Amino acid sequence: MAKTYDAGVKEYRETYWMPDYTPKDTDILACFKVTPQDGVPREEVAAAVAAESSTGTWTTVWTDLLTDLDYYKGRAYAIEDVPGDDTCFYAFIAYPIDLFEEGSVVNVMTSLVGNVFGFKALRALRLEDIRFPIAYVMTCNGPPQGIQQERDILNKYGRPMLGCTIKPKLGLSAKNYGRACYEGLRGGLDFTKDDENVNSQPFMRWRARFDFVMEAIHKAEAETGERKGHYLNVTAATSDEMMKRAEYAKEIGAPIIMHDYITGGWSANTQLAQWCQDNGMLLHIHRAMHAVLDRNPHHGIHFRVLTKILRLSGGDHLHSGTVVGKLEGDRDATLGWIDIMRDSYIKEDRSRGIFFDQDWGAMPGVLPVASGGIHVWHMPALVNIFGDDSVLQFGGGTLGHPWGNAAGAAANRVAVEACVEARNMGRELEKEGKDILTAAAKHSPELAAAMETWKEIKFEFDTVDKIDVAHK
Amino acid sequence: MSKPEHYIGIDKDINGGMTSIGKIIRDAWVFGLIEETETCEGWNLAGIDALLQKVNAEWDKYGCMVSALPEPLSTRHRDIHAKAIQHAKQAGWSGEHETGDEE
Repeated sequence: MAKTYDAGVKEYRETYWMPDYTPKDTDILACFKVTPQDGVPREEVAAAVAAESSTGTWTTVWTDLLTDLDYYKGRAYAIEDVPGDDTCFYAFIAYPIDLFEEGSVVNVMTSLVGNVFGFKALRALRLEDIRFPIAYVMTCNGPPQGIQQERDILNKYGRPMLGCTIKPKLGLSAKNYGRACYEGLRGGLDFTKDDENVNSQPFMRWRARFDFVMEAIHKAEAETGERKGHYLNVTAATSDEMMKRAEYAKEIGAPIIMHDYITGGWSANTQLAQWCQDNGMLLHIHRAMHAVLDRNPHHGIHFRVLTKILRLSGGDHLHSGTVVGKLEGDRDATLGWIDIMRDSYIKEDRSRGIFFDQDWGAMPGVLPVASGGIHVWHMPALVNIFGDDSVLQFGGGTLGHPWGNAAGAAANRVAVEACVEARNMGRELEKEGKDILTAAAKHSPELAAAMETWKEIKFEFDTVDKIDVAHK
Repeated sequence: MSKPEHYIGIDKDINGGMTSIGKIIRDAWVFGLIEETETCEGWNLAGIDALLQKVNAEWDKYGCMVSALPEPLSTRHRDIHAKAIQHAKQAGWSGEHETGDEE
């Protein structure tokens, strides 16, 4: 007589809770912060998350037996308390690498942060970290050029690079916009940047902007003898249109373009990054919408995960937060994801919110971009925190200089070079920052005026999303 | 709110005149393109834009750099802008207005 099976619904933990499981080197590992509904056992919820983020949605009861469930299923292998918060716990889940398409962060995230986030047994769910095995990393294209190759392309070494987001100076004409770029680059910046919401609106179509900006770059390069760039934003409504803009940027000689990887989508981003690699273009990545996903400590996706997704999908720069400026950013957590962007191997370090060792192998790193609410007085701390492999981006801290854009740029360039020189001579930047800047300002009226403009500003807002240990 | 057709004048501008248009006017004073008594009150946008192009042409002679200005332009620039910064601060402007939440 053929074997028969009982109808009915099994508890998730019977299949997906495996506390004795030892994760394989090839598994994709995830740490979720789980806030269950009242009365639901932790093991059952952890197992449910494992199920609903892997094979649980493929099957109904007996048909599980027609797939190789034991091979493809996610395995909840550990749960831990969240320090200082009894409402939630960490669930650690291992997924077999073959559950996912090679080179597709889209496929990984569709599973891991898909239907499971709407699951009724959960009040809230946050993806805290992912460990991508080196076997999976090797299937992804990664950053188009990487940090060292970018320095070689731009011939810039031994210091952080400087940038500035361009705001309309007088109306929104492409010509005046290009002029503002020229002034910033001429004053000493390495890059200027399109505002993220500047795409191709009726008030300034992309092609006119690209043309005037390239004219600015050529003029600034000719006068300074340095390579210059502007992050030409190619983010568009369709990937075809995005690629058209990228092709044009290359045609007119732009060294770098820009994409908003969350609003634009990871599929489009991966396509663009691969094209950039094939065409010798640098790719700056903006992160509009990230705070929707990463700011709530109990629900969403932590930025360290979004950072890993970007490194795999591809980008040479990624906005990281500033630690010292006006915008949100816990210092330890920010340092954690900066390491994730740049280093080749990152050890588990709970004090920085890093839950897993992460081996990137030979995949190039991404330059962190510190941007927003910063000015010359922050320069010593920024150089100390971010080091040389970074882009320090002063928007208002450049364009807000009372003498104008070029003066603002010059002030920041003198300040960064003074800080780097002092650091290289063994001085402590954060302790001696004022003396270092004051000495440099004796030879730079632009820096002196900037220091006078911003000297009274203090930023003392507390962060919303802290490392969990800090919740105690 | 309807958009004003004419500039209010640098002496009545917001932030004590520490605005994009204010900076254009002060630079125009420095380069002698307009009299220092000219506040540009009543000018339309085309007039301001035309002044901006003239100011840009002057700055191009010195690579846009204040530190490259020869005398007496250097002194004129320092004096005009020092007075403007002092005036703006008295009117409540500070650098914090300039460092918004941009990323």
